Amino acid sequence: MSSRALSLWGGRLLTILTIAGIGVTLLPYFWMLSSSLKTSSEVFELPVRWLPRDPQWSNYPAALSRGAFGVYFFNSAVVALAVMAGNLLVCSLAGYGLAKFRFPYRELSFRAILSTLMLPLEIVLVPTFLVVRGLGLVNSYGGLIIPLAVDAFGIFLMRQYIKDLPDSLIEAARLDGCSERGIFWRIILPNCKPALGALALLTFRDNWDQFLWPLIVASKDTLKTFPLGLAQMEGIDSAAYHEIMAIAVIAMIPTAVIFLFFQRAFVRGIALSGLKE
Amino acid sequence: MFQQRVGWRWPSLSLQTRLCWAGFLFVLPALLHLIVFKFYPMVEAFRLSFYKYDLMTPPVFHGLQNYKTVWNNPLFHQSFWVSVKYMFGVSVPEWFLAFALALLLNRGMPGRPIIRLAYFFPIAMSQIVVALVWKFMYNPLGVVNTLLGAVGIGRINWLATEQSALPALILIGIWRGIPLFGVIYLAGLQSIPKEYHEAATVDGAGPWQSLRHVTIPLLTPTILFVMVMSLLSAMKVFLNPLVMTEGGPNGTTRVLPYFIYETAFAYHRMGEAAAASMVLFAFAFALTLIQLRLLRRGGVE
Repeated sequence: MSSRALSLWGGRLLTILTIAGIGVTLLPYFWMLSSSLKTSSEVFELPVRWLPRDPQWSNYPAALSRGAFGVYFFNSAVVALAVMAGNLLVCSLAGYGLAKFRFPYRELSFRAILSTLMLPLEIVLVPTFLVVRGLGLVNSYGGLIIPLAVDAFGIFLMRQYIKDLPDSLIEAARLDGCSERGIFWRIILPNCKPALGALALLTFRDNWDQFLWPLIVASKDTLKTFPLGLAQMEGIDSAAYHEIMAIAVIAMIPTAVIFLFFQRAFVRGIALSGLKE
Repeated sequence: MFQQRVGWRWPSLSLQTRLCWAGFLFVLPALLHLIVFKFYPMVEAFRLSFYKYDLMTPPVFHGLQNYKTVWNNPLFHQSFWVSVKYMFGVSVPEWFLAFALALLLNRGMPGRPIIRLAYFFPIAMSQIVVALVWKFMYNPLGVVNTLLGAVGIGRINWLATEQSALPALILIGIWRGIPLFGVIYLAGLQSIPKEYHEAATVDGAGPWQSLRHVTIPLLTPTILFVMVMSLLSAMKVFLNPLVMTEGGPNGTTRVLPYFIYETAFAYHRMGEAAAASMVLFAFAFALTLIQLRLLRRGGVE
C-alpha cells in the first residue's frame, strides 16, 4: 500500500514537473506573441502586463514598413530554398555514389567528406570569405548561396539511407538497359523520399535564418536576410520592441508551420543524425 | 553483379570500369564543392596565419609573428576561457536534462503527442528570434526579473553585469539545446526492445536499477555522441553574443568565434584572425575525431 502511495505521489510530482517544464519552454513564445500586440508604453510597463489591454494588430503592418523587410524575407526564402535544392541534389548524388558503387579511393573520399564536419563556417570564415571574394561573388546571390549548397551531414544521411536499399532494384533496372543517370532519377530518388524529406526540412530550418554568412558577404541592403534586418532594427531603435517582436513572430511562421505539419519527418531527420544505423 | 556484361554504352569499357567511373562521377560534384569551400579555405587559413594581411594591401610574409601577437593578446586568453566556460556550462546540463526529458517523454501519459510537441517546439525557432526574445526578457524591466521578483530576488541588469552576462547566455544555450538532444536520446530510447526492460522487471529490478543496468549501457553510443555534439555546437556560438551583448560587458561574453570575427572584419587583421582560427580548429579537430570514431563504431564501417 505504501509503495503504491509512493508511486502515486511520484506520478503526480512528474506531472507537475512536466507542466512546469512546458511553461519554461513555451514562455518565450508566449512573451513574444503577447508583446507583439502591445502598445509601445505597455511593453516595459511595471508590473509586467502578461496580456495587452487591447491587441494592437496594426503593429504588424507598421513593423513591416520599417526597413525593407519584404526584400529581407524574400532573400531569406531564396537562400533557404536554393541551399535546400543544392543539398538535396548534390548530397543524394554523392550518397548514391558512395553507397552503391566501388571505385578507387571511395573510402578515402567518404572520410574526407566526413572530415569537413569539423570545418564549420565559424572556423573557415576568413578564408571562405577570401575565396568568395576571389570568385567575384561578394554581394551577390551566388556568394550567399553557393558556399552553403553542400553539407557533409546531408551526404552522410543520404548514404546511410541508400545503403539500405536493396541492390536488386538497381541491378534489375540495369538489366533492363536503364542508363546510370536514369537509375538515379527513376529508381533511387523515388525510393529515398523519407530521407529527402528529412534533409529538406533540416536544411530549410538551418538556412532560413542565415545570419553569420550574409553578415560577412552581403553588405548591400537589397541582399540582406531577415536576421540582419532584425538585428539592424534592434540596433537602431531598441525601444520598438513591440514591432521587433511582430517581425519575430512573422519570421517564425515558416519554420513553425513546417514543424507542426512535418513533426515526424523533422524529428526523424534529427534522430538520424544521432543514430548509429 | 559486376560480371554481367549487359546493356553497356561504351563498348570499349567493361561494365566494371564503367560502374567505377559512374560512381566516381556521382560523388564528384560534392567533392569539388568541398575542396573549393572547405579544404582549400582550411589550407589558405593555415598559410594566411603566417602573413600580415589587411584586405587592402598585398599579404606580407610574417613568420610566426601572428601567433606571437595573438598569444600576447590578453583578450585572446580571455576569449579562450570564455569559450571553454560557455562550452561546458551549456553542454554538461544539457547532457543530463536532455536525458531526463527523453525519459519523461518516453513514458506513457495522457496527452503525450501534445506534450512532446510543446517540448520540441524550440527546435523550430530561428536563432535570431531566440536572441531578440531573450534579450527582451532579460531587460531590467523584463519578464525574467518579474518572475525572480516573485521569489524575492531583486532586479538585475542581466546582460550588462559582468557576473551575470555569461550565465544568462548559457541559460539560453541550454534552453535551446535540450529539445534537440532530447530528440536524439528519445530515438535511442525507443530503439531499445521492450523485452529487455520486461526481463529486468521479472528479475526484480526497480525502475532505477533498470535504468542503470539496461538503459544506460545500451544507450552509451548515443550518450557519447550527444556529449560531443553538444560541445561542438556550443563551441560555434556567435550570434547570441553579437546581438545580445556585443561580447561585453568587459569582454565577459566575447567567445572565440566572436574574437576571430572582430579581429578579421572589424580590425582587418586577417593573419591574426587566421592564427586564432587555428586554435578553434584544434578544438573542433579533437572533438570531431572522437565523433567520427563513435559514428564508425556505430556502423559507418
